[in-house]
Amino acid sequence: MPKLNYEEEKELAKIAVRIRQNVLRMIKAGRAGHVGGALSCTDIMTVLYFKIMRVDPQNPQWRERDRFVLSAGHKCLALYGTLAEKGFFEKSLLDTYGAMSTRLGGHPDMHKLPGVETNTGALGHGLSIAGGMALGLRMDNPAAKVYVVMGDGELAEGSNWEAAAAISHHKLDNLLAFIDRNGLQICGRTVDVMSYEPLDKRWETFGWSVRVIDGNDLQKIYKNATDIPFEKGKPSMIIADTVKAKGLPFAEDKVNFHYWKATDEELEIAEQALQQIEEGIK
Amino acid sequence: MDELRDPRKTFGEALLEAAQNNPNIVALSADSSSGSGMTPFKEKFPERHFEFGIMEQGIMGFASGLATTGKIPFFAAIAPFVTARPFEMFRNDVGYMRQNVKVVGRSAGLTYSDLGATHQSLDDIAIIRTIPGVTVINPGDPVDIVKAVHAAVAHVGPVYIKVGSPKMPVLMDENYPFQIGKGVVMEDGDDVTIIATGTLLSKAAAATKILKSKGIAARLINMHTIKPLDRELVLKAAQETGKIVTVEEGYLAGGLGGCIAELLATELPTPMRMIGVDDQYAPTGPYEELLSSLGLQGEQIAETVEKFLG
Repeated sequence: MPKLNYEEEKELAKIAVRIRQNVLRMIKAGRAGHVGGALSCTDIMTVLYFKIMRVDPQNPQWRERDRFVLSAGHKCLALYGTLAEKGFFEKSLLDTYGAMSTRLGGHPDMHKLPGVETNTGALGHGLSIAGGMALGLRMDNPAAKVYVVMGDGELAEGSNWEAAAAISHHKLDNLLAFIDRNGLQICGRTVDVMSYEPLDKRWETFGWSVRVIDGNDLQKIYKNATDIPFEKGKPSMIIADTVKAKGLPFAEDKVNFHYWKATDEELEIAEQALQQIEEGIK
Repeated sequence: MDELRDPRKTFGEALLEAAQNNPNIVALSADSSSGSGMTPFKEKFPERHFEFGIMEQGIMGFASGLATTGKIPFFAAIAPFVTARPFEMFRNDVGYMRQNVKVVGRSAGLTYSDLGATHQSLDDIAIIRTIPGVTVINPGDPVDIVKAVHAAVAHVGPVYIKVGSPKMPVLMDENYPFQIGKGVVMEDGDDVTIIATGTLLSKAAAATKILKSKGIAARLINMHTIKPLDRELVLKAAQETGKIVTVEEGYLAGGLGGCIAELLATELPTPMRMIGVDDQYAPTGPYEELLSSLGLQGEQIAETVEKFLG
């Protein structure tokens, strides 16, 4: 398995903090947002965009590029924060979050922002779209790969399982999906609201090659996500165990931080928390 | 008697012809390739035909994803299962994402007359036309079907094409210039205008003949495109004939009739009659008898027009 060296890991950790700071910056501008899921998948986004995916911020429509689909579109703050950090657009645009006719809506719109590949928001759509991308790319552009981030609560949408079967049936091994298993959704613990556990066995049964990792560990994400397919002829799945609202101690793993209407006081505490993480990276 | 052709077979032949000229065309099947006329395509281009089984929501998403890579997916299956069932995928993944996907709802309208309301598609026009940017075509005869397929390929953007299944008479000249969004005046007249679409165009044509024999000059328009609507042609007809009748194999609510009523109510209030299926689940039975029970045969349409004219 490939491995990040010490310097690389440190650099990625710094980027992950900056992306979390970008998320906070947008929430500060808009006064509210889906913070929990954005911060739980930030480390995955960091590794994908800064170590794995072949994308060009100067040429977002580059034909040979890898594709990214954020199926759980409400985690868009993580996507915007990552794209801004990667240089797809000016960071000043982050301050328009929540403003009238902003290009950074509460769910992503591919026609408004460079680097966004799909319009998601309604849950259970992304995996099928990603499957279509993988099928089309396999025909004409076999080096390109498709990466997907899904939520665990999202799995209750039956359409995901149509996609799961079809992607496996058509042997789309140029696709890697992550399930950001932060374990929480709006009304409580995902296993209590509607359990699809055991996820690893379910996806394996659907014909996927599955790995379960700590989804907030940059090294583990890198090691496991770099070389796909995990098995030839099978789509790859990483079930990433994450902490919702990772990085904000007062909000971590708390159900009421799915969507956060931030007070000035909370924002200040949040900024300090991220600063501490930044200072702690040695 | 006009020549009769199988609409699904006609669609399949047109798709094959288009695919021979355009390597980006791919076909997606929901366990329905043969019933959708796509067998010739499948045999000629097996590497461009993808079977998914009965998962229309998933297929709609796949179609969108394929289109993002430059493919032109044709997704053809039984009409309610490519419209009502995956409506949100049609709206978000195809419409909102503005993808170059062509959805073909076949055996549409009442043509699955004996299979009942689950398989009939009377609301497809109404629901799909609410999606911004989607072109909605309802071909009136086999010539229209062929031309609609080629026009859909040439048009960059999402298109819905509605196709029936009983054999249809050839009504249009093979060489006529089909244009998306442009209705066709098939018969001129000043007493009333009958605007018909899709499978009932032939019934409306029969009604026009009956009316002519009784000295009533009805203008007949083949409105093969529901969206974008040919507003100019409708307004001209309203102005010149003063009375409008719409004819369609679908619900009055939101269909062609609704569409034209929306236009006339705001631009040029004109007395109207809307012929189609009113708020109900249609009974089951043989197709032609079912049409009769709903007042959709040529003589019945003529009678309704006569009463309207008083």
